[in-house]
Amino acid sequence: MHVAPRPRMTAGSWVILAGMALLSLIWLLPFVGVILTALRSQGDMMMNGVFTWPQEFLWSNFAKAWDVGDFAIYFRNSLFIIAMKVPLGILLAALAAYPLAKMTFRGRNGIFLFFLVGLAVPVQVALQPLVIMMRGLGLSNTLFALLPPYIAFGLPLQILVMRGFFRQIPTELIEAARVDGASELTIFRKIMIPLSVPPLAALFIIDTLATWNEFLLPLVLTSAKDSRTVPLGLLQFQGEHSSQYTLLMAGVLISIIPVLVIFLFLQRYFVAGLTAGAVKG
Amino acid sequence: MRSLLCGVAAIVAAAALPATAQDTNLRIATVFDATGVENWQPVLDAFMAANPDIAVTMETVAGSGAAMYPDMLRTAMVSGDPADVFFMWGGTVAGPFIKAGQVLPLNAIYEQYGWNDRFPPWIVNRLGVDGETYGVPFHGQGMGFFYRKDILDAHGLAVPTTYAEMENVCATLIADGIHCATTGGKFGWHVMRLVDWFIETNCGPEIHDGLNALTESWDQDCVVGAYQTLADWITNGWLVPDFLNVSPDDARFAIYQGSAAMILEGPWFEPAIAEAGVDPSVYGFFLPPTDHAPDRYSAFPEQWMIAAGSDSQEAAAKLVDFITNADTIRANAKAFGASATIGITPDCTTQPITCQIVEIVQSDRPAYPPTDQAFEKELMDSFFEVQDGIVAGQLTPAEGAALMQERAAAWKAAQG
Amino acid sequence: MPSQPTAPFAPGRARFRARFRGRSGLVRLQPYLFIAPAMVFYLGFLVYPMLVSLWTSLLDWDGLSDTSTFIGLQNYAKFLFADEVARKALVNNLAWTLGALTIPTAIGLAMAIILNQRLPGTLVFRTIIYAPAVLPLVAVGLIWSWMYNPNFGAINVLLRAAGLGAYTSGWLSSFDMAMPSVFITYVWGSVGFPMILYLAGLQSINSEYYDAARVDGANGVQRFRHVTLPGLRESHVIVLSLAVIGGFKVFDLIYTMTYGGPGRMTQVLGTWMYFQTFQYYNAGYGAAIAWVIATIILLLAVPYIRHMSRD
Repeated sequence: MHVAPRPRMTAGSWVILAGMALLSLIWLLPFVGVILTALRSQGDMMMNGVFTWPQEFLWSNFAKAWDVGDFAIYFRNSLFIIAMKVPLGILLAALAAYPLAKMTFRGRNGIFLFFLVGLAVPVQVALQPLVIMMRGLGLSNTLFALLPPYIAFGLPLQILVMRGFFRQIPTELIEAARVDGASELTIFRKIMIPLSVPPLAALFIIDTLATWNEFLLPLVLTSAKDSRTVPLGLLQFQGEHSSQYTLLMAGVLISIIPVLVIFLFLQRYFVAGLTAGAVKG
Repeated sequence: MRSLLCGVAAIVAAAALPATAQDTNLRIATVFDATGVENWQPVLDAFMAANPDIAVTMETVAGSGAAMYPDMLRTAMVSGDPADVFFMWGGTVAGPFIKAGQVLPLNAIYEQYGWNDRFPPWIVNRLGVDGETYGVPFHGQGMGFFYRKDILDAHGLAVPTTYAEMENVCATLIADGIHCATTGGKFGWHVMRLVDWFIETNCGPEIHDGLNALTESWDQDCVVGAYQTLADWITNGWLVPDFLNVSPDDARFAIYQGSAAMILEGPWFEPAIAEAGVDPSVYGFFLPPTDHAPDRYSAFPEQWMIAAGSDSQEAAAKLVDFITNADTIRANAKAFGASATIGITPDCTTQPITCQIVEIVQSDRPAYPPTDQAFEKELMDSFFEVQDGIVAGQLTPAEGAALMQERAAAWKAAQG
Repeated sequence: MPSQPTAPFAPGRARFRARFRGRSGLVRLQPYLFIAPAMVFYLGFLVYPMLVSLWTSLLDWDGLSDTSTFIGLQNYAKFLFADEVARKALVNNLAWTLGALTIPTAIGLAMAIILNQRLPGTLVFRTIIYAPAVLPLVAVGLIWSWMYNPNFGAINVLLRAAGLGAYTSGWLSSFDMAMPSVFITYVWGSVGFPMILYLAGLQSINSEYYDAARVDGANGVQRFRHVTLPGLRESHVIVLSLAVIGGFKVFDLIYTMTYGGPGRMTQVLGTWMYFQTFQYYNAGYGAAIAWVIATIILLLAVPYIRHMSRD
């Protein structure tokens, strides 16, 4: 595992830090916009624009957004989907990626290609067949209807990434384990997974965020209010002829808290990965 | 594992279904946002109280631009599970659903409930295709200029009654750095309202109707004149500049902040002003002058439709009857805007402009449809393309008219 | 080393023999068993709908009625020869893909290298760079539209305040600047992803290689070229191929920010397919466009991945 040498704060380091700080300010400008809008009244925003200091801080927007947006329900649903889909999807992908990376068998390249082909498929195309299928399976309008397509569409990328990183794990390690009598499953559990923490963490972050913000499939597959996810909940603030922007932005801020938590939590694993079981020799 | 999940899901779903087998469950699909849903719950409760064997749930797909609601409807219909009653805009948005046989024809039901006397005839006519009516009127939306009385007063201007007076108003305002009107070009339909007015003014009612029906050629002088008017409004600065991808909602900033004096909207704008937290007393309303007799205005209905695939068509009809009934509407005024039911007048003290518009809508004054309810979307996007091209100076008015005719002719040919 | 296999998972050479000669059925099936669960989902919920849409692309169907007409390859012919908007969309996709291949990738790599060092605050900066992915699309679309608003938006206001009024533009409302404006938002939102993948890649490079290189007298640039870049090979494959794939599938951001306009300037294949299927009720033609997208990606990205996947 490559770790950069202990830092010495050279002049160069300060320049870099200054540059990054400036870049960060620019990068965060849209977030500032979201926060400012969430904290003011609609009239204040209409009259004074978005990037001005609020005349009055309307903290009540958050409580109101929570109520109006039925966030309790939507949060529950979105968290449920994340909890079921992300670990399961990544597990299935890792399981499939292991033989594709480290075993020889007939059809290996063909199967890998077959999975890759799925990357080319735009998801809109699958909407209508999926609705009909879900109806046939009796899963219409339930949260469970979202799981199989989410997993299926996430597999190509996850298999690609996991296979890529599995390949970098030295085969000698695996052979040694096989010689010692370990089963493939054991090798998977005790060697492949622990050594792949950085890409696993990366996939976890990416998949959680993508699933959290995913919009099209829930719109079409789960229109019943009790099965809706958070992005659909945000729709409630946009009317046919006018929108409650301030409540919408308050709702946005509420809705990103869980993902921010997950993201910050997983960031640590990048660092943990640095020190966990370095591959030597 | 998956079959276990399926089993669990089925049990959960079954447990969630309300009550007994005798009860009918109606689903009504709408585009209301959270406030709208809140306002409608008393209406549904009242219906259920009067009809204890029917349960009604509302499904909404909110979101501006009418973009996602038809998608949801469509997928539901294709999968055989549509809502029983659903909201729909008038005109061609409903066309594909009707053509595909997904909407219940209502002539017989109109007879049964006596609906022919309940609504202004011009609205019911708009909801018919080939002699059969497919929808029941919900709102009658008349559109015109909402304007800032204080800005016009400050410049000594009166409400224009002819197009020439309009030009004078705009010229006076821009001399003081104020734009006459504000519009948002995203999606196209907001700018279209202005273009429709220019066409009506330049071409007159008969030709305008012919253009919409594709019986008149778009490549004629009056159309070129209409596009030229649009180009002039841009070059004169009478419209807030660079609006092509500003959303219609965002176009309102200009009139709220006073950098523009007018905006072409309908009765929904009055509650929007209130919701926006700006002072509503400075706003007035007038219809854009067309210098023709009859002096028409742009108006369109919103309707309720019953799905052909519904299992409970009788109950659905009862629900529609209930929600278009004058008593229901009066008792729940907040849930209804410019209602199309005859005899409904909104509270003229709290909603003066809506009151004014409803009076016009329920009168004999003829109206023309906005072009996006006369053309199907595919052809309409050509209209928007020409409109955008002229605004951006990429097309001259003559080129625009010719291109529009080319597309219209190709469309017509492809239908036949 | 034991020489007699007594159990299915017999150790050592015997196991290898068993695998290759199929003496132990269970072992031979193992790769397939590992793959099976993923394959079930994949076949049922991705492959099957895609095949259905392939059939649809051969039809003249509005996506709603019970009736449809089989028209063979006419939809594809229309795409190739009779649709100017489709051609414009394709050009837009090519430009977008070229941009996506170079700009977010380069910035992401730079960020990963800079932020892989143990300087104070790198964790915070990493979070900030990736943060845009956290925002729902509706918020991104709204805020950036407001920033781009030619009259009230932050960008033009700041430009004017800084005396750079000549550089103001209609941005999203301008025929020329609409596409680049959306792309800028895209870069803002998408740099985090390559950054994370490159970070994961950097952290997987064995530090012994760097030590060896230093011992051999290689300087910083040479170490970068000969140790870092090759070590990032797997990350490259993923980042670049996803850029191509994303570039041809792009839909969400454009749909939200410009809806294909002004005029048709920002139409791409993804939005054009959506318009055709869901708004014009040409489900057959829309499915054909979807297959064109998929075919292009298959022709461009998959051979690249295959090539890079060979050892």
